[in-house]
Amino acid sequence: MEYKNVLTTCPYCGAGCNFYLQVLDGKLIGVLPCKSHPVSQGKLCIKGWNASEFVVSGERLTKPLIKRNGEFTEASWDEALDTVAKKLKEYKESYGPDSIAVLSSAKCTNEENYLMMKFARAVLGTNNVDHCARLCHASTVVGLVQSFGSGAMTNSIKELEDADCILVIGSNTAEQHPLIARYILRAKEKGAKLIVVDPRAITLTQFADYHLRQSPGTDVAVFNGLMNVIINESLEDKEFIKERTEGFEELKETVKNYTPERVEEITGIPKDKLIAAARMYAKAEHASIIYSMGITQHTTGVDNVSSSANLAMLTGNVGKPGTGINPLRGQNNVQGACDMGALPNVYSGYQSVADEKIRAKFEEAWRVKLPGKPGLTVVEMMNEAAKGNIKGMYIVGENPMVSDPDISHVREGLENLEFLVVQDIFPTETTQLADVVLPAACYAEKEGTFTSTERLVQMVRKAVEPPGESKGDWEIICELAKAMGSKEFEYGSPAEIMDEIASLTPIYGGIFYARLQRGGLQWPCPSKEHAGTPYLHKEKFTRANGKGKFFGIEFREPAELPDEEYPFTLTTGRIIFHFHTGTMTRKTALLNREVPRGYVEIAPADAERLGIVAGELISVKTRRGQIETKALITERVSEGVIFMPFHFAESAANVLTNPALDPVAKIPEYKVCAAKIEKIKVSQVI
Amino acid sequence: MIKKARDLTKKWLEGKEVDAIFGLKQEDGYIAPHLFIDASELDNLMLSTQHRLCYTCRPSRENILSLMQRREPNMKIGVVVRGCDERALIELAKRGQVDLGKIKIMGIACNQEEAKECRCEKPYPSNLVLGERVEGVSEDENVDALLDKSLPERLAFWRHELSKCIKCYGCRNVCPMCFCKDCKMEQEVFTEKGWLPPEIPMFHFIRFYHISESCIGCGECEKACPVDIPLLTIFKLLRRDVKALFDYEAGLDVEQKSPLLTTLDEMPMREDVTSGV
Repeated sequence: MEYKNVLTTCPYCGAGCNFYLQVLDGKLIGVLPCKSHPVSQGKLCIKGWNASEFVVSGERLTKPLIKRNGEFTEASWDEALDTVAKKLKEYKESYGPDSIAVLSSAKCTNEENYLMMKFARAVLGTNNVDHCARLCHASTVVGLVQSFGSGAMTNSIKELEDADCILVIGSNTAEQHPLIARYILRAKEKGAKLIVVDPRAITLTQFADYHLRQSPGTDVAVFNGLMNVIINESLEDKEFIKERTEGFEELKETVKNYTPERVEEITGIPKDKLIAAARMYAKAEHASIIYSMGITQHTTGVDNVSSSANLAMLTGNVGKPGTGINPLRGQNNVQGACDMGALPNVYSGYQSVADEKIRAKFEEAWRVKLPGKPGLTVVEMMNEAAKGNIKGMYIVGENPMVSDPDISHVREGLENLEFLVVQDIFPTETTQLADVVLPAACYAEKEGTFTSTERLVQMVRKAVEPPGESKGDWEIICELAKAMGSKEFEYGSPAEIMDEIASLTPIYGGIFYARLQRGGLQWPCPSKEHAGTPYLHKEKFTRANGKGKFFGIEFREPAELPDEEYPFTLTTGRIIFHFHTGTMTRKTALLNREVPRGYVEIAPADAERLGIVAGELISVKTRRGQIETKALITERVSEGVIFMPFHFAESAANVLTNPALDPVAKIPEYKVCAAKIEKIKVSQVI
Repeated sequence: MIKKARDLTKKWLEGKEVDAIFGLKQEDGYIAPHLFIDASELDNLMLSTQHRLCYTCRPSRENILSLMQRREPNMKIGVVVRGCDERALIELAKRGQVDLGKIKIMGIACNQEEAKECRCEKPYPSNLVLGERVEGVSEDENVDALLDKSLPERLAFWRHELSKCIKCYGCRNVCPMCFCKDCKMEQEVFTEKGWLPPEIPMFHFIRFYHISESCIGCGECEKACPVDIPLLTIFKLLRRDVKALFDYEAGLDVEQKSPLLTTLDEMPMREDVTSGV
């Protein structure tokens, strides 16, 4: 008999909790928390506690599948890989490399994401590589780079505990990053002030000193209003502004027009509350801003992010513990997938593909000529597929048929492809459309690293064997590359891939498996002797001239506002009991018992006006599509606003959402669109 | 002490007194339960007061030792335990979950400082093999502070604490005594589902009540709570009540049946001694 506990990193959100997988005679029997881990400290959320259940689900993909006459049939690995290699080669040769696009995965390891982007660039010869970060924090990467020079969370999770004031905007932290909420609540118990800015009454609002309830999509006005008060009352950190920043005059000029009265008109936040919250934030010694998709998923996503950076710099809250701008990344390894360059414009470590010197470095290392033109982003790929310009697509560990905006359009794009290969651990709404399906190992069945939201690179360890013939994504990518004739994918283990990453990626320069075994390392970690970086921008900003940059940003309205025909504002998000498209959580009994089906939150006054009762099946319609779901009548939303979680494929919120993009970051506006609600006639129900 | 423990467990294993040792293993600075089959592995045996052994595995909801014993019924397992681990084993045996006949206990005493850290009332096992027995803590600041409050204050205190709950079920998951197949905390008949915080106070009361007489006071539930709800405090008071009402203490004697598992025809509950948590 063999019983062991294998320490690993949680596969759900970006908090980076660690736990042990309990293994009895080669079988997973449960999860145990890890008391010595710096973030999780022996605690987990409901998803982490149940993270072993989906691994052993009987629904896992166990054999390669090839679609023949519309039906999937089992195939050997050789046959499946040959088919994929042949097709991809054919498109590359006949239509050019840019006729192919790949989607990498924020669920996969750093090593696998690195290999995916290397495969796209070195084997296919295209920069058409992207992943779901486009849909969650593309605006963070762009916004924080232009303000600070680095697009990541500036500080560490544990530091939150010692902040004097925490401003949470657009993050339902207690539900989406429960173990990060732990540190907010601990700060609160120690006397810190808490300001929550959110259109919904979320779990954290019950503990907030102020809940500023803005209309969805008016965040820039909120930030400008807060800064207007701070400058007006001379509460800004003049020394910090002078010594460490540039562009203050531009900011001042812009925000002077955002008086509390005007901001109340735009956002609906009473001016007295705004003024009080501004004072509270500005007067704190260590003030920390936390945000998430509530501000990033807008056509003004970059503006929102840069505005948060403006506010932090204005009050000198950057470059010291317990302060900063803390974007919470939603996936276990979405930070890592970005760090590894699974993005159309950069290699690993955010090194630009357009920069000739950098391109030459990668060309030399990979012994191949590389394309210099940045590739397509997620939504652009779907558009080009619909137009017929993308012929083949390789999707790893993503489910765009539930996760992407305007699903009908996604379907149109994917169905219009000549060839689609999808690699996943489960059959999904997306694998259904594939020509070839490749079965992959999940986190518990392979080795690698994940990088958490606080830039912490941590080990993922193999606890059990993958089911059936499924294999680690890194092995599959290597085999496919070899099948296409590449000689640059000879790795004996993920550790060797990390060695290559370290050699080509300055921020990961000191990261090696031997160092990670005893605990994670926070990048930048440029050398083997470097201990890692708990918080960024300490003495100077990462920007080229070392200064943080203010931007004067005017408020712009969301792309689609409610009107007579579509009178509601629909906003979307997640709930604690499920994760993203439900591929994992909806196969976990306890989580399904908590919330088995989708719903739409509607304010009591709206429900009464429309004659809708609790639990009633109703129709929600936008200009993109229509779904049916049950009504949840709650004061969590205010009048005129409705909210839907997007986990549920059968009543998919993303049938409704607007694919309008932020002009720079190309992130879609999941958080605001116009919708209407209708009762379903009895005859329709029957 | 650790050297003594390693030597003794090796002796047990090599002398065929046991077929395996169930204890804590240290690897790269991390500590977790492990089944040692080979004596050479025992150089990684670790002692820690902060890590427990007998967890209920989920989703099967069986204790790890019951799973092992069911798999290999004839295997004699040496178990390296602290006082609280031993009390858990005794309660589990009492409830038919483990077979103590196939278990050889190596009891390790905790020192005064360790007992204080865990707010432990009985920091030693009855099968004491290594270490000196010291008395546990008799006073508890948190308990006293709570009892000093008025009833409305106490209600407000618990309301606030329970309102932080993020429904991870961690308190139940780490509890060695929580092995019910049909846990009532999960059932909609008792508490509404799908919300944060879970229904106050029902969600927590189900467990408070159900574990009141089997709680062995290890404090794992409090340590597992992501939002620091003072669960050990309430369980100390519940244990105090059970002791006062029934003169019963969990985890001491496998033969002593739990008062809530027996009929009480002859002995009604005394109503004058409840501490009113």
